[in-house]
Amino acid sequence: MLGTLARLPRATVEFANILLTTPDAAIAQTPRDVIWTHRATTLYRYRSKCREHPIPVVLVFALINRPMIFDLRPGNSFIEYLLSEGFDVFLVDWGVPGEEDADMGLAEYVLDELHWAVRETLRAAQAEELSLIGWCIGGTLCAMYCALHPGGAVRNAVLLTTPIDPSNSLYTRWVGNDEFDVDLVADSYGAVPGGGIDVANKLMKPVTNYVTTYRRLFANVLDGKDPRASYQAMAKWLADNPPFPGRAYREWITWMYRENRLVGGRMSLRDRRVQLSDVDQNLLVVTAEDDHIAPPSTTVPLLDLVASADVTHLDRPGGHIGLMAGSKAKHEIWPEIAEWLRDRSDR
Amino acid sequence: MASANGSSNPTPTEQVRALYEQLESQVAQAGERFVGSEGFTAVLGQLAENTAALTKLSADAMDLVLRNLRVAGRRDIVRLARQLARTEDKLERVLQEVEELRDDLVHEGRTLRERDSDSSSGRSASRSSPARAAGASDQGS
Repeated sequence: MLGTLARLPRATVEFANILLTTPDAAIAQTPRDVIWTHRATTLYRYRSKCREHPIPVVLVFALINRPMIFDLRPGNSFIEYLLSEGFDVFLVDWGVPGEEDADMGLAEYVLDELHWAVRETLRAAQAEELSLIGWCIGGTLCAMYCALHPGGAVRNAVLLTTPIDPSNSLYTRWVGNDEFDVDLVADSYGAVPGGGIDVANKLMKPVTNYVTTYRRLFANVLDGKDPRASYQAMAKWLADNPPFPGRAYREWITWMYRENRLVGGRMSLRDRRVQLSDVDQNLLVVTAEDDHIAPPSTTVPLLDLVASADVTHLDRPGGHIGLMAGSKAKHEIWPEIAEWLRDRSDR
Repeated sequence: MASANGSSNPTPTEQVRALYEQLESQVAQAGERFVGSEGFTAVLGQLAENTAALTKLSADAMDLVLRNLRVAGRRDIVRLARQLARTEDKLERVLQEVEELRDDLVHEGRTLRERDSDSSSGRSASRSSPARAAGASDQGS
């Protein structure tokens, strides 16, 4: 007891130091080249020194938070891992949309930005096919893209903690009724502030996000552990919340949470019907048991809807982000994904 | 819970910590139930609306002030940025057309070269045949 009390002042100073210097943490350190840009979107390429597979991998993240979670920190980076496994890796970064991008809707993201990124990837990699890995909303966008381009350039699709049928989710309870005026929010901001969306995400588990995280960090410091690198990288990524373009926000809330169009086959992008039954790519669906943002129940219906002959579902312990970016991911889920891709990435 | 020195009796620090963690876990569960309630949903929705409405009102007021001062406001800059974005959209489509045309030209050039080399090899083959024949006749003579 006395020992703990004696360590308390020093631990408090270190705890404060970790929190205060979080913005200086170095994340997304893997070298990359800019391949293509359009408006806020950038396509990056990470070159593998030991490229073995001719089919490149394209990573697509959500419209909230930044895709740097794929390359969190050296030694704990999914991109670094894929490169070491011999994949040619591309990353679609939606950037930081401003009010001028308020006209960007789901159609623009799926039919323009993602389609063009696929095109540029094929040109840069001199390939005819590729693998798409989408995470969260990025996974939903990839599923829509696959449905609209059956028999196209996407050979393999990997969907990580992806909402497909959110009818029973907490989000639906929050924004799926008339008490939440999505038009007012989307029109007032133009680009809905990412900070607001982040607060909503954190409020889903208020005590865990606002208390437990800091209590655990303090306990680790007090116990003499060194949580600085892991905590700061994740905290810095979590604090980077780009705005959600107004039109895309309105469409996402209305079409997904209010009308559940994707599952019902009623989603249309520029008059092109998005039918999940048209998805014929090799499909890997990964869900996280403790995911509170896209619980497995919101993703699993996809398995019965697609026409793919090759469908794999992995349900693993972990949360929405922790599953792919936690300390165990490198030894658990990443090898499984890489193995699945490896078996399907030869000419 | 085992203490740090290996005995099975937890130290007072560990007991306090375990009790706190238990309490925190219960509060966390209660918190999650609370945020899923209808009352919280209604308040959250209204809070989001109020915040959005206030932001819009203050932005409009600030824009009005700047406009009266003959200074470009946020709205003017957004309008300009939108025009730039539209121009970039068009440029991107033109670039793609150009790239496709260039690819077509390269492909066409390759096809023509292949055809040329085929026909030239055919010509040389047809030319070489009499030569060979002549050679043969030379040899034969």
